[in-house]
Order: sequence, then structure tokens, then C-alpha cells
Amino acid sequence: MLKVIKDLYSYRELIQALAWKNIVVRYKQAYLGLLWAVIKPVMLMLIFTLVKSFVGIETGDIPYPILTFAALLPWIFFQESTSEGINSVTSNAALIKKIYFPREVFPLTAMVTKLVELVISFFILAMLMVYYDMMPTVYAFWVPVIILYTMIVALTISLFGAAMNVYYRDIGQALPVLLSLVMYASPVIYPLSLVHKKLIVEQAAGSWSDTFYTLYTLNPLAGIIDSFQRTMLKGMAPDFESLLPGFILIITLLPISYIFFKRAENWFADVI
Amino acid sequence: MAIIEVNNLTKEYKLGHLIGLRQNTMNVLKRLTGRPIHQRETFKALDNLNFSIDEGEVVGIIGHNGAGKSTLLKHLADISKPSSGHVKVNGSVAPLIEVGAGVNPELTGRENIFLNGAILGIPNKIIKSKLDEIIEFSELEQFIDTPVKRYSSGMTVKLGFSIATSMDADILIIDEVLAVGDLAFQRKCFDRMERLIKHQGKTVLIVSHNIRQIVRMCSRVIMLNQGSVEEDGDPNTVCDRFYAYSNDKIEAEKQKTLGQISSDSDICELVDIQQVAGEGDTHEIISGQELKVKVRLKINKTIRKPEIVIGTHTTDFVYLTGDSTSQNLTLDELQPGRYEFTCTWPSYPLRAGVYCFRVVVFNEIRGMLLSGEGLAMFKVLPALQEAHKPGLRLLDLPVNWAFETQSPDT
Repeated sequence: MLKVIKDLYSYRELIQALAWKNIVVRYKQAYLGLLWAVIKPVMLMLIFTLVKSFVGIETGDIPYPILTFAALLPWIFFQESTSEGINSVTSNAALIKKIYFPREVFPLTAMVTKLVELVISFFILAMLMVYYDMMPTVYAFWVPVIILYTMIVALTISLFGAAMNVYYRDIGQALPVLLSLVMYASPVIYPLSLVHKKLIVEQAAGSWSDTFYTLYTLNPLAGIIDSFQRTMLKGMAPDFESLLPGFILIITLLPISYIFFKRAENWFADVI
Repeated sequence: MAIIEVNNLTKEYKLGHLIGLRQNTMNVLKRLTGRPIHQRETFKALDNLNFSIDEGEVVGIIGHNGAGKSTLLKHLADISKPSSGHVKVNGSVAPLIEVGAGVNPELTGRENIFLNGAILGIPNKIIKSKLDEIIEFSELEQFIDTPVKRYSSGMTVKLGFSIATSMDADILIIDEVLAVGDLAFQRKCFDRMERLIKHQGKTVLIVSHNIRQIVRMCSRVIMLNQGSVEEDGDPNTVCDRFYAYSNDKIEAEKQKTLGQISSDSDICELVDIQQVAGEGDTHEIISGQELKVKVRLKINKTIRKPEIVIGTHTTDFVYLTGDSTSQNLTLDELQPGRYEFTCTWPSYPLRAGVYCFRVVVFNEIRGMLLSGEGLAMFKVLPALQEAHKPGLRLLDLPVNWAFETQSPDT
């Protein structure tokens, strides 16, 4: 495990250069440049706020626009880095056929690329916080840890997905669609506190309620989004109860996904 | 010490398209129930290769298309994994397999230098220190801040080559990259390669179809044929064998479709062309000996003042000779009928190889009535046993050597 990280550390310049290339290539001929990176969360925030004014979602004392924007930040980061990660190997076919370096560099590069875009979105979040007169507390120091965890979750899916995508291009098509469905199973539009209230406090599903709640939090994004909102906006520590099921799932899947990728890697150049 | 060791290296590829999910599930089901499954045919690109390369050797790898040269390089560069056997490389490898693989069209030349440097594993610091040298070598000072997509193809390759050769690795792998840019730039690349080889003592592997280049640069040549090592050793010996193989192959193919004849009219037809043998096999002469050929023509309409040209050319259509009847044969008129022309060269001084005949017939106003090339094949055998085998010449002219000692030291 340590050796893997050490090896990857020696390729940091390559990851840097490739991520920088991705960003430069994407925004070079665009007048608005990197601003495009924040268009998506801002638009979604506006739409959700509009919808919310019709259907009414309990959000507690945090204004809805900033609450949903704080949910969209980690969500979009996760969704885009995963989709990008899955396609990262096939879209670099030319390099794979010519030069050897550990192939996990490609999914990792996808994460790093999206990380830069995430940083831009943070400026918008900061502006919203100023507007709603919110001060970050000391708990905001949790945020880097949460982002790192989000990257690990995205990496777990993209390592497996990227390797499969080399053999079956269906994966690259299907996963982004699946991911956009997962958004509804994650507390993006509604807060996790609402789910918690329905299932744990009101026991809405009868005796199954506790099991359902565990199943819901098996989605690592549930804990991630909730913790992000708590540490950033509410000035509270992360809720480890909601993080735990997803964390156990990811810690089990990550080694499997990595080993699968490393095995498939041997034939990338022949099959791609 | 061996820097590269290859033991029993075999690479198999499956032929045909990747099987789909349905076929895959069917195969699993069939395997479970013990029924025979549909197996795709396999193709051995590399077949049990064994060799080792010592530090500082410059090895050329030659062979026909599909002999497995590039596949071999891919295994040495760790891009492909062998089906069985081992490849052991004790050192860092700079892959030049197709220069410019990592060049991104959207980025400028300068940005591409940094990106490609990172891809080739050159530390950022070294790239920075070498930046000026790279730009100067690429001759692109003026365009270095322009996106590569606006470059001409030659400029792109120049950039790629400049970056790739600035890498500091133990082993350089070169796949047909010396044929880049214009002649002046090719010369520069060649010089740089020679400097790398001769002065820095690097181990170099070169794949090229340019045999002359291989003979000049390499200290050892490996010839591959259908995935196995056919010859391995001294460049001259191996390259001569390769020439022989190539000529045999061309000859075998030519025998099937002998020559192309084009004629605009049916005034004149080529009946037959035949080399008149000196001795033994009709298709062979020894370099410098007499060459004689008979051409039979059928004339259907009277041709006034015809001119017939009989010439020879190499298998890749370099015209060597072309001798016209106007030189010493007076032809006023050819009535309809059959004619036979014999052309004799008292001495045919070309170096050993395979050559072909061509025939052209003109009329009075130099209109072409018939033209054909590659009509018959003949082989020239080497005249004498030399220490330094031919290959670096085209002609075998008569020569007289003289020798005298001018001032003895003792």
C-alpha cells in the first residue's frame, strides 16, 4: 500500500503536467475560460431553488440556495471526476500504445483536473457565505479531509470502470447515466437531516426504518455531502454515524478495484 | 554485462474482433457444462525469441513488414506484456516509438516541450535547463509560442524529435524516426544520433527499413522473420542476407504477374522477351559479364522509322540503362510481320542483385507505340570474394590497382 503511494508520488510531475494540459486544452479558446467550471453548479442551484419554492423541503435554519450549493460542490466534483476517470484510459489510447508509465496515472489525473475546478467553485461558495453573512468556523478544517475522501470514492469507481471501459465501451456510456440517477439517492436536493428525521425519528417505514437508513448511508456520498454542509455551513463536526457504512464499503472495494485495474493494465496496449 | 535479456519471448494475438458480452456469457456457460467453446484463431507475432544485448551495443533490427519488429520494441519498452517468456531490462528506456505521440495540437510548442518532457519522465528542472537547446535544435524559435495545430507536419515531427532525444536514458529505442523533416534536418538528426551512440556509449536499438543507415550505425544487426530471429550478427553479413531475401521475395511475386505493358494502339505487340544465357541458369550472369536479351515483336501495321529502346531497371524502378536502336541500327520501315531484336551489352557492370528489363517502341514522330517494364527478371551474381561485402556501391567498374613502397622506414 505504502509502496503504491510512493511510486505514484514519483509520478507527481507527470500527473501535474497532464492535469495542467487537460485544463489548458479545455479552456484555451474559451473567452470565459475557467468560469465555465462554475456555470453548472450555479445553474443547478438556481433550478433547485426554483423547484423548492413549489414543493417545499424542510431545510432547517440554513437558507436553501447555499445549502444546495454546498451539496452540489462535492457532488459535482465526485460525478465529474468519476466520469472523466472512467474515460481517461480510452481517451489516452495514443499514449498508452507508445509509452509506459503506471496507468492509474490517468484516473488520478482526472481527479486532479476536477480538483482545480472545485477550487474555483469554492470562490462562489465564499461569495454566497458573505452574502448570507455566515462565518466559517474551525470545523472548516475538516473540508480537505472530506475532499480527499471524495477523491478516494471517485477513484474506487473509476479504476474499475476505466479498466472495464477498455474492453467494453458500454461502461463509459452507462456510468455517467447511472451517476446522474445516484444524485437523487444522495442528499443533494434535500438535506440528510430530512431522511434522518423521516426514518429514524418518525420511523416512517416501520420496523425496516433503521435498515433503510443504513442502506441509504451505504452510499458514501450521503455522508460526504452531509459532512461538507455541517463543517462548512453549520459549524459542526462531521456526523460519523452517517459516514461509517459508506466508508466500510469503500475501504473494502478500493483494493479490489485497484488489483483489478493492475491486472487488466497488462493488456491495455493490445486491446485498446 | 547484458543490459537487455530476452528469454523465450512469445507474443500471441487473437485474430478477429473482440467477442461481445453475449458470446462471452455463452462461453462461460458452455465451459461450465463442459461443451466445446468457440475459440478465436491466434497469431504468433513473436515466436520464442532469445537474445541478449550488452551495454553500449548499437543494435539494428530489420525484417519485412509484419516480421515483429515493432512488437518486439513494444515489449522492450514495457508497453505490451509477453504471452510467455521474459524480458529483462536493466536500465531506463527512452521510447522513441513514433516521435510525437504526446504532442497535443492545442498547446504551443513551448508548452508541448514541458508536457512531453513529463510524459517521457524527464524532471522539470532538466527540461528548463535544456529548453533553449531543444528550441534551437528544433529550428522553431519563431513559432515556439504558436499552438502546434497551426504547425506543418514537418514542424511537428521536428519538435517531437528534439524533445525525445534530449532525454537522458540508458537505452534508446528508435523506430523509423530518422526519416523526419527535410534533408538538412535529417542530417542533423543523424549526427545527433551518432553523437549519442559514439560519445555517450548508450545502448541503442534501431528499427528501420533504411538498410544503408543500419549498416552505417550499428555494431550488430538482428533480422526478424515471422516473429523469430533469422540472423543475428555482423551488420554487413546480416544485411546482405536481408537483401537476398528481399530480392527472392520480389522475384517470386513478379513471376506471378510478369510486367506491365501499356500500348495505345494495336500497331505493335510484344510477343516474347528472353534473356540469352551464357551458361547455366538463364536468369543469372556474373557481374561484369556479357548480358544478352532477345525481344520478339509482332507488327500489325507498317511503321516508318521506328525506334526501339531496351533497358534495365532495379526492382524498385530506378532506370539503369536504356539503349536505343538509333545508336547503331538503321531501321527505315517495318512491314507487318514478326521481328526479333537482339541486344547485347558486352559487359554489365552492376553489383550483385536482381534487375528487370524494359522495352519501349516509338514511331517516326516519337509517339509511344508500346511500353513495358518489369518484363523479365535476371540476377547478377557477385564476381569475386571480397572481405568487405558489397552493399555500399551500385557499379562494378573495371579497375586497376597499383602499389609501391615509397620510403621504407627502416
